[in-house]
Amino acid sequence: MSLFQPETSMFEPLETQDGAEVITRPSLSYWQDAWVRLKKNTRAIISLNIIILLAIFTLLGPFFWDVDPALQDLNQVSQPPSMPKTALVVGSYQSWDGVTIENYEPPEDYADSVPAPTNFRTEGKPTTQVVRLVWDPVPEADGYNVYRNVREPQGFADLGLPLGATYGDELSYEDRLSLESRDYYYSVVPTDGIDEYEIFARLVITPQLAITQEDALERGLINRIDDVAIGELVEIEFHPLGTDYLGRDMLARLMEGARVSLFIGIVAPLLYVIVGIIYGGFAGYIGGRFDVVLMRFADFVVALPFLLFMILFKIAFGIGPGESGIMPMLIALVLLMWPATARLVRGQVLQIREEGYIEAARLLGGKNHYLIMRHIIPNTMGVILVTLTFAVPAAIFTEAFLSFIGMGVAPPTPSWGSMCNEGVKTMLSHPHELFFPALLISITVLAFNLLGDGLTEALDSKMRSRD
Amino acid sequence: MSETLLSVRDLEVEFDTYGGTVKAVRGVSFDVAKGETLAIVGESGCGKSVTVQTLMGLIPMPPGRITNGTATLKDKSILNLPAAEANKFRGVEIGMIFQDPMSSLNPTMTIGDQIAETLRVHRGKSHQEAFGMAIELLEKTHIPEAAKRARQYPFEFSGGMLQRAMIAQSLACNPSILIADEPTTALDVTIQAQILELMLELQRTEDMSIILITHDLAVVARMADRVAVMYAGQVVESGSVDDIFYQSAHPYTLGLKAAMPSNTHDRDKSLTPILGSPPDLFQPPAGCGYCARCPHAMKICAEHLPEITEVGDEHHARCWLQHESAPTIEMLHQAGG
Amino acid sequence: MLMYTLKRLLAGVITVWFIATATFIAMHQVPGDPLMNDKAVSAEIRANLEAKYGLDKPVTTQYFIFLGNMLKGDFGISFTQQNRKVNDIIRDHFPVSATLGILAIFFAATGGVLFGALTAVYRNRMPDVAIMFLVILGISVPSFVFAALGQLMLVNINSLFGYSVIPVAGWGTIWHMLMPSLVLGLTTMALLTRLMRSSMLEVVNEDYIKTAKAKGLSPTRIFFRHQLRNAILPVVTVLGPQIAAITTGGFVVELVFAIPGLGRYFVQAVQQLDYTVIMGTTVFYGAFLVFMVIVVDILYGFIDPRVRLS
Repeated sequence: MSLFQPETSMFEPLETQDGAEVITRPSLSYWQDAWVRLKKNTRAIISLNIIILLAIFTLLGPFFWDVDPALQDLNQVSQPPSMPKTALVVGSYQSWDGVTIENYEPPEDYADSVPAPTNFRTEGKPTTQVVRLVWDPVPEADGYNVYRNVREPQGFADLGLPLGATYGDELSYEDRLSLESRDYYYSVVPTDGIDEYEIFARLVITPQLAITQEDALERGLINRIDDVAIGELVEIEFHPLGTDYLGRDMLARLMEGARVSLFIGIVAPLLYVIVGIIYGGFAGYIGGRFDVVLMRFADFVVALPFLLFMILFKIAFGIGPGESGIMPMLIALVLLMWPATARLVRGQVLQIREEGYIEAARLLGGKNHYLIMRHIIPNTMGVILVTLTFAVPAAIFTEAFLSFIGMGVAPPTPSWGSMCNEGVKTMLSHPHELFFPALLISITVLAFNLLGDGLTEALDSKMRSRD
Repeated sequence: MSETLLSVRDLEVEFDTYGGTVKAVRGVSFDVAKGETLAIVGESGCGKSVTVQTLMGLIPMPPGRITNGTATLKDKSILNLPAAEANKFRGVEIGMIFQDPMSSLNPTMTIGDQIAETLRVHRGKSHQEAFGMAIELLEKTHIPEAAKRARQYPFEFSGGMLQRAMIAQSLACNPSILIADEPTTALDVTIQAQILELMLELQRTEDMSIILITHDLAVVARMADRVAVMYAGQVVESGSVDDIFYQSAHPYTLGLKAAMPSNTHDRDKSLTPILGSPPDLFQPPAGCGYCARCPHAMKICAEHLPEITEVGDEHHARCWLQHESAPTIEMLHQAGG
Repeated sequence: MLMYTLKRLLAGVITVWFIATATFIAMHQVPGDPLMNDKAVSAEIRANLEAKYGLDKPVTTQYFIFLGNMLKGDFGISFTQQNRKVNDIIRDHFPVSATLGILAIFFAATGGVLFGALTAVYRNRMPDVAIMFLVILGISVPSFVFAALGQLMLVNINSLFGYSVIPVAGWGTIWHMLMPSLVLGLTTMALLTRLMRSSMLEVVNEDYIKTAKAKGLSPTRIFFRHQLRNAILPVVTVLGPQIAAITTGGFVVELVFAIPGLGRYFVQAVQQLDYTVIMGTTVFYGAFLVFMVIVVDILYGFIDPRVRLS
């Protein structure tokens, strides 16, 4: 049949085969096994690290960023995020006579068109204290309009409203109108005294941030007025994430807000999960009529429209003057959220109570409290842990939601939700005021959700047998 | 025997899993003749279900992959067909029923609609006509009050009734072959007998062939004309039902028989289990798959895969004990000896 | 089925009573009293007002009067707008909220089913990864941020065209409703997509899908007749509670988009401590939600024969 012709010796019996079946997988406890599987879940581990970072940010952050979150700085309102800034120390404002044409004679006639002014320049260093503009005269003109734009104008029609006007022999303009340290497009348009000629000269200027010695002293940047001389640079307050509409430091407020948001987000679920465990545990373990009554009541509480009653309870508990409103929100959350955990724990207890190993332990003489502590509670811990993980983002969302519609934490206490509420008002002009708190809420909620997903998978005993 | 309907040659199927590639089917060949029952026997994971599911195109690819072999139904190849081509024979030429009737029917469609669906798709019947035929099919499988039952949902049926409905569904287009993948495993013993009886009856009236997948030798003895014994992805012995039971030519077949209770069995003698477990098909052994558990294992068994040896008329075994140099073993049918 | 419906309705009525009682108790816990806002009222006017609103009677009497009026469907007169009945306020503003909510549910359900089915079909490929990324975003970003971003988007679209293509705020035309209802449905859509995906992936491994294949059905037929239909069931079960979430979620959207809905009115009433409006609105909303959940559950029975017939 085939070419392969085995030798006769190969037909001797095979010696006994040992070690064919050895259990090679180490035996792990439930939690060890869950931890091993959680570690394999990259997303869950990243989330766990994010949560740890958030905790560090909240608890240790204020030690490294020692700025008062309530300190208002009306000189720096709604500043965007920036690097450390220095300001030029300048003397107090000195009036300026400007530049005029000597022996000026108004033009005899109106010209049809004129050339643009030339040699458009600044006089002295442009600072946020003052920008002084000078240009060479256009012979036919009897005045000039000066424009300032923050975006580059796309032609004559795009200039908008003039910043100011000069007449006759004036060839300069002094701009002191709420200057910031940013790019400005200055344009000068010759006029016949009333009407404009459709031509202009343009200059881009970035004024240097300037501060007077008196201001620097007042803002606590220097200790004595002669610590810095005029013309020197002084470091001004640094706001890495910018400031809000009252000039408060965003980073410090986010840390403070994190304490409020995470406090509610973690303490409220902890409390109502404990309430739920006790309530559901009792109902499930005692069972019978007692169980029916307890669970019916829980059903009613579940049926309460959640947000309406959050608001209702919040006003019912009231906020006295000077209170932050954290406690009423905490109580309201616990009052409304416990039934979910209670139901879950009751279901688990009912199920576990019927398991064979409980029966076995009871037959071996296990007492009630032993059964509860040794078997029932450890076996519900997984489910409870998962519930807790998913309850955190829900509570954070609720806080943010209530604070956003103005029913949450009372100002001036910041929370991420109330910061969003403030930020959304200036969303168009200063997006960072909404962006940062919204980002932190999203990251936190995302991290807890992904961790919850990971825990569900890691603790699911059905999943264990799969790998 | 009579004409061959289905012919499978050297079928090899692999699965890519996160743990590596599983060689689930490693060169399986068999024929099914018109009107006969072929039983494929073997323990869990031996590849018997994978083999028939591959024929029906039910293996998801990927991760599954046919690496070798052919299968022809009435001289037409049926492997690796696109869905539109495969649907010309699935449900038409070959009907199939599964192990768990409870989960094998769509819970949100009535039984009648599910049977009628086959007729509407393959025979182009109207809904009303197909539904009427579905009721007839249910009657044919002895479901009482078929007209009423056809309007019910699977959850209103018992397991045995559901398996009858499954059979009715698979018979809708008068297939020439019925594949029954462990049709009675999930059922009570009394119901099992009824279902098997029904299958035998329908085989006679409809003149069809049956491929019966099972791990139960008692079912084999009752139903099969011919038997293929599978182990570790290979057919280790095949032949007529008498050959397999009375002239077993492979130690694995002997082992299966020793593990089976029977009424002629000595009362004092306990059943003999086959010790150990099947080889890891992630890395199939170089030699015979049964070597590690075989009481008669020889040196050659560990190193070389035995060839298929003819040990009688239409009776084959894949075992080195059938080699002319091998020692004689008690109870084992050996061609040379 | 009829018995089931009646049972559910009875339970619903008891639940509404519970809601009403809880509302009453909560409102009587509020520090201060309803007439505190009008600082200038004299003792005489005050007594008159108290008599008008029944505040001079004992608490238990007030409770029964409240319950009795509620049974008659009368929620009383607003405290702050003293010529306006709470019923009128609800009648004027609730249809707006309901329209918004229905549109949002529609977007959420169709989007959720569609995207969920898509992700399951393209499992672990580009469309799946992309959609699931958006879903995680949808679940993690607070709804008010979406509302703000939605409005920002409209502003940008309008400034791109140079005129108001889609109104940024307000109410009236279908164009007003588009963005708010989309924003409102977004979180629910994300949840439903996730649910639909896992449901689809579970169903695809069911034995009856294998049976359908073995019957020789085309992949499209299997997908629509067998897979999709069974996968939608769990999605429908969560629709009831999600309606509740969307209706209350409407508060933010109504606030941001300046929509004259009942949610916005409720927030306003809470800020002004308008007792009758708060109580009336809460009970009305509560009853509405309780019965919506019942309606969804009963409708579910028509889709799933196992529920309908047991």
